[in-house]
Amino acid sequence: MNQPAQATAPEAKAAPQMALRYARHGEKREIALAVPVGSVRRIELPDTESKSAFVTAVLKARCEANEELELFGQPVRDLSGGARQRLRTRVGALSPIVGLINNLNAWENISLPAAYHGKPSLAEVATITQEVLDVFGIEPRGFLVRVPDELGKLERKIAAFARLMVAGPELAIVESLNDGLSRAECARVAGFEQEYRRRHPAGTLLFVDIREE
Amino acid sequence: MLRALREIEGGVKLSLNAAGRLGTLRKPPILESFLRQVYFTGVTASTGVVLRASLLGVLIIAITMDVLDADVDMAVKILLLVVFREVGPLAAAVVIILRSGTAMSAEMAMMRISGQTRALRYLGINLYDYLVVPRVAGVMVATLALTFYIQFLAVAGGLLLSPFIIEATFMELASRLFDLFTPVDFYYSIIKSLLFGFAVSACCCYHGLNPPDLTQNAVPKVVTRAVTQCAMLVLTINAVFAYIVFGILFFGLVKATV
Repeated sequence: MNQPAQATAPEAKAAPQMALRYARHGEKREIALAVPVGSVRRIELPDTESKSAFVTAVLKARCEANEELELFGQPVRDLSGGARQRLRTRVGALSPIVGLINNLNAWENISLPAAYHGKPSLAEVATITQEVLDVFGIEPRGFLVRVPDELGKLERKIAAFARLMVAGPELAIVESLNDGLSRAECARVAGFEQEYRRRHPAGTLLFVDIREE
Repeated sequence: MLRALREIEGGVKLSLNAAGRLGTLRKPPILESFLRQVYFTGVTASTGVVLRASLLGVLIIAITMDVLDADVDMAVKILLLVVFREVGPLAAAVVIILRSGTAMSAEMAMMRISGQTRALRYLGINLYDYLVVPRVAGVMVATLALTFYIQFLAVAGGLLLSPFIIEATFMELASRLFDLFTPVDFYYSIIKSLLFGFAVSACCCYHGLNPPDLTQNAVPKVVTRAVTQCAMLVLTINAVFAYIVFGILFFGLVKATV
């Protein structure tokens, strides 16, 4: 039986602008979801494959034949290369797909995209990083010089979150946030939502998980 | 056959892309990666070659004078020819292939297999800019530096230590060396070592970024392929380059001073 993976946001009278609309047509399951701009949503997809396909489609701003995707009101199917690239810069993810680079330490991982693209400045990156680490009670000196293999799962997620906050995307996808974390650690990463909201009041935050059946 | 053609095509594309993007070295993380490559490839490799390179010069002079019954003039000529034109760049290339080529291809294959190259793409970072350009440029500079280092040590070692085993003074050997040295030897070894560095790094990057499959088992296959092809490339470039520059019968470009 076909069933939507997640109820979409209730249609407002004046239709809100959507950050994301996604649909996937499959033999067993249909997935359809819409996320308004500025909202915080938690969606559960039926399996790992659907989750991975969804996150990949959004990050690439590109969809397969059985998918439909709109980002910020723009259908991605027939986008030009430049327009697709511009859309990609508005989206970011905290996901195993966008993991940390193993031969760079935490600071280099956090600052790499900014250093490569030339913005924000490294001083701003340092400030944001310091603030994020303060929120999660991590001492920067010991943390930032360690490579990912020397970090615990929670610390890796915090480093990836700091990198995400530096990029400051309009649409942030957080995939399987609690995977591999203890209950106490889950309580700590729950602060990601508040921190993102504090920094980007108009941003859209989407938590993606697998539905446990 | 088809795979070989694909590899050649891929290697040429990668080389052209890397050469065309050298300007990105100005970006701070790429410059940092370049300097790191120069350090690991050139500086750390240099310590192991001191004694060997010094003894190389002594061996060449001693063997030439003893076995070939040559005079000082001939021994120094052979030292120059062998060390400057052939052994210096070749020895540097071998050190680079064994030390850095293996590490570079394995590191890049691991990055590809573990999805880190994909992560870089999602972060909007061009793989050529961040992974290929600094490695290619860094290995070229390191090969050149290592070549000079080996040449200097071999010639200096030959001049300093040979008087202990042959009947010639340091001054005799040194004066003959300066008489016989021509700028061609210098330019020849510069261009050749840069070409060696480019070929080795481009080949290792190509194989690292294109493993046969995305499992851990692919890493040793990548390293084996990269090292084998690097060695073949270096030997081929050496032969072709020597033929072009010193093939006076066919090209008449430079008169070999033998």
